Amino acid sequence: MAHHLPIPVTFVPGNSWFHRLHPTPKLIWATGALVLAFSTRNPLFLLCLFLLGLLFVILARVLTTYGRVLVILLPISLSLIVFQAIAPAFPQPWIPIAELGPFTIYQEGIYSGLSILLRSWAGANFAALLVLTTHPSDLFTALQKLGLPHELNFMVSASIQLIPIVQREFMIVLSAQRSRAMQATGFGAAIPSIVPVFAGTIDRVQQLSMSLASRAFGSKGTKTNIRDIRVSTKDYVSGIVGVAITIIGTWLLISYRDRLDWSEIAFLPGWLSIAMVVGAAVTFIGTMIYFWRKANI
Amino acid sequence: MGTAKEGSELKINPIECRKLWHTYPGGFNALKETDIDVSTGEIVGIVGQNGSGKTTLVKHFNGLLKPSSGTVLINGIDTAEESVFDLSRHAGYVFQNPNHQLFATSVMSELQFGPNNLGLSEDEVLARVEDTAELFQLQDVIMEHPLRLSFPLRKIVAMASIYAMRPSIFILDEPTTGQDHNGAAMVRKLVKQLHSEGNTVILVSHDMALIAEVADRVVAMWAAEVIDSGTPREIFSNSTTLKKTMLHPPQATQLSQRLHGRVLPRITLTVDETIDALAQVADT
Repeated sequence: MAHHLPIPVTFVPGNSWFHRLHPTPKLIWATGALVLAFSTRNPLFLLCLFLLGLLFVILARVLTTYGRVLVILLPISLSLIVFQAIAPAFPQPWIPIAELGPFTIYQEGIYSGLSILLRSWAGANFAALLVLTTHPSDLFTALQKLGLPHELNFMVSASIQLIPIVQREFMIVLSAQRSRAMQATGFGAAIPSIVPVFAGTIDRVQQLSMSLASRAFGSKGTKTNIRDIRVSTKDYVSGIVGVAITIIGTWLLISYRDRLDWSEIAFLPGWLSIAMVVGAAVTFIGTMIYFWRKANI
Repeated sequence: MGTAKEGSELKINPIECRKLWHTYPGGFNALKETDIDVSTGEIVGIVGQNGSGKTTLVKHFNGLLKPSSGTVLINGIDTAEESVFDLSRHAGYVFQNPNHQLFATSVMSELQFGPNNLGLSEDEVLARVEDTAELFQLQDVIMEHPLRLSFPLRKIVAMASIYAMRPSIFILDEPTTGQDHNGAAMVRKLVKQLHSEGNTVILVSHDMALIAEVADRVVAMWAAEVIDSGTPREIFSNSTTLKKTMLHPPQATQLSQRLHGRVLPRITLTVDETIDALAQVADT
């Protein structure tokens, strides 16, 4: 049912080690994971990075919530395999490894598709770890202590906090339009759903700015926070380890770039390539049909 | 409206809930073992504190929510097996906040949206828009942008946009919230008009004066359950129900309750009724 479709990307209360960790090292880890993921196309390294992120998500006990994000991410990212396999984002010439009806599957396409897929999943794991285990106010405080201007910091934090509100609003608007016999799919559904959400969001932001102005938001001087977060030794160690791994890892990945390029080494058998592309296409289309049917019942 | 007539000929209630449970993801039971029957042409007010399950209940009436267990029949159709699109022909839901509904660049387009979705002919759509604009007194603003209208008027446009689809059941969620005196009077008039056309109306409201004036029956909810059902006079006289639901009867009723036995011979529901009763006392 459409009512249950919003992607939950908000803080999940908990008491895991990751929940107790200061937001700054988590921010460093998330940024570091993205830097490492974009420094190589090596699928084995990216798989390891993905698995490490997944392990952290499991240990943080937010897998159930993150799983709902993955349900949305899975079909979109699997479609990358299909499109990359037949039209690789890779310099030509391409090596054909199998035929699938009128399409030719290329080695570089499978390699590139897998790399992009694992890269996006690895990045998503660490980003989810940051968002799902960090209270927005703690992130606000941490960024302020890092020297981010108060106004800019508030904009970032308010935007993050606005996401669940807009999600909820979108679901209500969708319900309202479905009550007027709107089929909840296709481009025809976009305008009736998006206009009220945008109009509501602009109105909300205008009211918020007036409310902030009337409560001395623009005043000069040091600002204090209700929620205070303390930095412990483990936070320093985690942050330093994160920075070190990012710098050393990036340097190694760039230095051994040629050796880590397996695009012409890691050949998949033709049948396995076909199975992978067909599996990805079936999962993508199946998931789309599933959501379409859910949205219309 | 044909369905309502067919329904009444076959003596099918427009709304029938049987042992309805609704559990939200996370395990919260928003409705427990709810049984409700609504007859054709009846105006039913659903009252209760916030979180008592009123909105969850009425969202089952047009399929926006599906039962976790139990059944909901709308004009004899099981909502669990029907899409919101198909149910919208039978039950029209007017949301509390009109801003959630209005998106078009003119009131006219807004009124056309529902009938167009139902696949009606252009002539039929235009006829319905004309009728609706007349009934809801929207002729003067028909080409205006809905978001430029006042909030009370936007609520009227939202109601009108549902009316243009001609369902036989109208579900109005807090129709008088945010309305000024004239707007509230307009809502009362429209509810009575819908009733006079033979439609079934479900009112979810905290406006006890509205409920007292227009409802045939009041359903009181508390903690996800229906705890009482009866005429407004019965419900507003039942101290146990009022205490449990923390509801306050309309001021006219409260006044008559205070004067009952000493000055007034009976409990009244509306201001007009109270004035009549006082006039009778004065005459004697």
